[in-house]
Amino acid sequence: MMRVTTPIVIAALCAAAVAAPAVVSAQNPTSLVVQVPTEPPGLDMTSNPSSAIAAVVFDNVQEGLIKIDRTGKMVPWLAERWYTSDNKNYTFFLRKGVRFSNGREMKAADVKFALDRAVNPETKHPYRVQYEAIQDVIQKDDYTVTVALKKVDATFLYTMARQGSVIYPREAVDTLKSQPIGTGPFTVSDWVRGDRIVLLRNKDYWVKGLPKLDRVVFRFIADPNSTLAAIKSGDIDVSAFGIGPESVDELKKDARLSVIVGDTTNDVTLSMNNSKKPYSDKRVRLAITHAINKDEVLKGAMFGYGKILGSNVDPTNPYFVDVSKRVAYDPAKAKKLLAEAGYPNGFDAVFKVAPQYYYTVRSAEVVASQLAKVGIRATIQQIEWGQWLSQVFCLAPCQTPDYDMSIIGHAEAWDIGNFANPKYYFRWDSPEFQKIYQDSQVTVDDKSRRALYVKMQEMLADEAPAVWLYMHPRLVITKKGVTGFWKDLPAPVQDLSEVAWQK
Amino acid sequence: MQRYIVRRVGALAVTLFFVSLLVFVVVRVLPGDPALIILGLEANADSVARVRQALGLDQPVPVQYVQWVGHALRGDLGRSIQYDLPVGALILSRLNVTLPLTLLAAGFMIAAAIPLGVFAATRHRRWGDYLTMTLSQLGVAVPGFWAGLLLILLFSVRLGWVQSGGFDGWGEGFWRGLRSLLLPAIALGLFQFAVLARTTRSAVLEVLREEYVKTARAKGVAEGVVLFRHALRNALIPIVTVAGVQLGQLLAGSIILESVFYLPGLGRLTLAAISARDLPVVQGVVLFVASMIVTVNAAVDILYGILDPRIRYG
Repeated sequence: MMRVTTPIVIAALCAAAVAAPAVVSAQNPTSLVVQVPTEPPGLDMTSNPSSAIAAVVFDNVQEGLIKIDRTGKMVPWLAERWYTSDNKNYTFFLRKGVRFSNGREMKAADVKFALDRAVNPETKHPYRVQYEAIQDVIQKDDYTVTVALKKVDATFLYTMARQGSVIYPREAVDTLKSQPIGTGPFTVSDWVRGDRIVLLRNKDYWVKGLPKLDRVVFRFIADPNSTLAAIKSGDIDVSAFGIGPESVDELKKDARLSVIVGDTTNDVTLSMNNSKKPYSDKRVRLAITHAINKDEVLKGAMFGYGKILGSNVDPTNPYFVDVSKRVAYDPAKAKKLLAEAGYPNGFDAVFKVAPQYYYTVRSAEVVASQLAKVGIRATIQQIEWGQWLSQVFCLAPCQTPDYDMSIIGHAEAWDIGNFANPKYYFRWDSPEFQKIYQDSQVTVDDKSRRALYVKMQEMLADEAPAVWLYMHPRLVITKKGVTGFWKDLPAPVQDLSEVAWQK
Repeated sequence: MQRYIVRRVGALAVTLFFVSLLVFVVVRVLPGDPALIILGLEANADSVARVRQALGLDQPVPVQYVQWVGHALRGDLGRSIQYDLPVGALILSRLNVTLPLTLLAAGFMIAAAIPLGVFAATRHRRWGDYLTMTLSQLGVAVPGFWAGLLLILLFSVRLGWVQSGGFDGWGEGFWRGLRSLLLPAIALGLFQFAVLARTTRSAVLEVLREEYVKTARAKGVAEGVVLFRHALRNALIPIVTVAGVQLGQLLAGSIILESVFYLPGLGRLTLAAISARDLPVVQGVVLFVASMIVTVNAAVDILYGILDPRIRYG
């Protein structure tokens, strides 16, 4: 008897489930469902550098004294102004009446607490190096704080605008990881591990009229095909990251959707092991650069979305200059340089790439076929991200990186200093470059600093310690009617304060 | 029967011991230092040493094993590095999704495969048989994740009947929970359904040729009774064997389908834990799932004894 009833019961269940009231649509005028590919490993930006944390928390839940706006400019934020007379002592005047979401007013003591904690080596702040210049944080009164530096640090104000410099209430320091409290437009309401994080509007937000949404749901969907299905079926309102460039043209034709294509700080870089032959020879590195047709790489790997790069500095940076033409595509010249360096018949090379980032494998395939034309026989070896970190990126306790060439996106803004660090996995050791970089770190005057940055970009292009292929584009898909999203991404944020549904 | 059960449970304990050993060793030989992956691009020698110590990785491996098993026996599987939550609680919260999903898939598999298999056997070499076998051939050939994507395209993108994925929890009502598990359960059970249908068909076919079936028919027993009481019951041994193994495979298959349908289940937890080298979670989940599979197999063995008295005395 059992055997007959089971299928009927199951069939009935299925039918009932399908016939049940329609799924509550994601499209609710005051609520937004945003897909992000990675679940944040905790929500504490002061203990973990993960960009997945910043994507949810930075500028949405917690804010800093200074904010980087959608054009990449630094604007006064929790500090309404600041001044310095000697570039060593910065006095910040806090905005009055700004409340944390726990109801208490933000005061100078909170700023001192947050900065002291970042400086303290015991805290394990992920970017402690950036705070090393700070000698003392002096609380003048409830709304005035002076930060005294040991030496001039041209990046200090930028550091204050970074995700690691957000201000939080002293009493909530222990819950930063699961229940971060801040002054931002939203508060964390619910975190269903493995599925979603729900933010609710901060009713006391200090910027009048913001945020425009009552509720934001961040859904973790890693698979690009699932993301595509979810946006097409209307289950999510926005795909913030993860849909590949191959789907963009198709999505642009969909009348229900809008596609945002913008700039990012993510520089897709072909790295070479400068400590190893033949890559220690500048002529070989230049030959590799001449052999690569970056337009073709961009077309093949990214369907043309993105921008060609000539150095580590990307178009979102105010000091950006286009140096991509300095070592242009020229296979004949590449062959000549290889012969000069003693490799008239080329050489064998291995690309180690992590397929976790789809563009690395695709780019490597195009580049390998281009290198073959000048005699460099490159094979592609795909390795898992954990192995990539220990073999290629060579984190401590690794002593010597084990790779020839690799490709990865370097997403951090203002990271040209990596090339001034001979221990970084490029292993490029140029005292001359290091000197210019050190100078730029203590040059506050904008014009002189710009000159140093231009010099560094030109030098990187001419010395070719790596090949900068292209800037990875920002590709955001939204339902029609969603407004206020940032087009470009000069900082690792998904600022949703001004996002709204068009009436 | 009692002695048979005791023997089976004893074997179960030994198997579990080896499972725990295997899990522990495999997780230890994974390339990639967990401390490095946790710290990421900003690691230095100091912080790496600190994290290794916090994880207990600085101790000899046998000591680590004994500590882990000791705690596990008391129900403590450790704390997740990534979530900073007890592993046991994490697993339980994810079972909320994976268990109903697996059971639904198993229900779908059994409810569809056994009647269809019996049907095919009774229509041997006729169109009903061929149709059923073509269908199951398709089920064997199409991988689950692909079937999942096709189902999403049809039922949620095109028809809009169900959502494309995600799980809002049982708190939103039983029907809503069930709805979000329907497509993944079908995709998950498809392959196993096809295998089971084929197994059932051949097992029943074999039994239908037996002398006692001929005898039953000769003495005028109704065909339905012949089929279900005489034939199917005797054909059940291979069917139960396959179905038992398949239950374990369903659990394993949920890893991929939970990613396709972005369900917050055990499979996605495992995947995320592996890439983040969240060792306590990886160990805990693998041990848990392996124990479930081993237990299901033991239960299947005991079920044999009930189905076929010859086995328990063997």
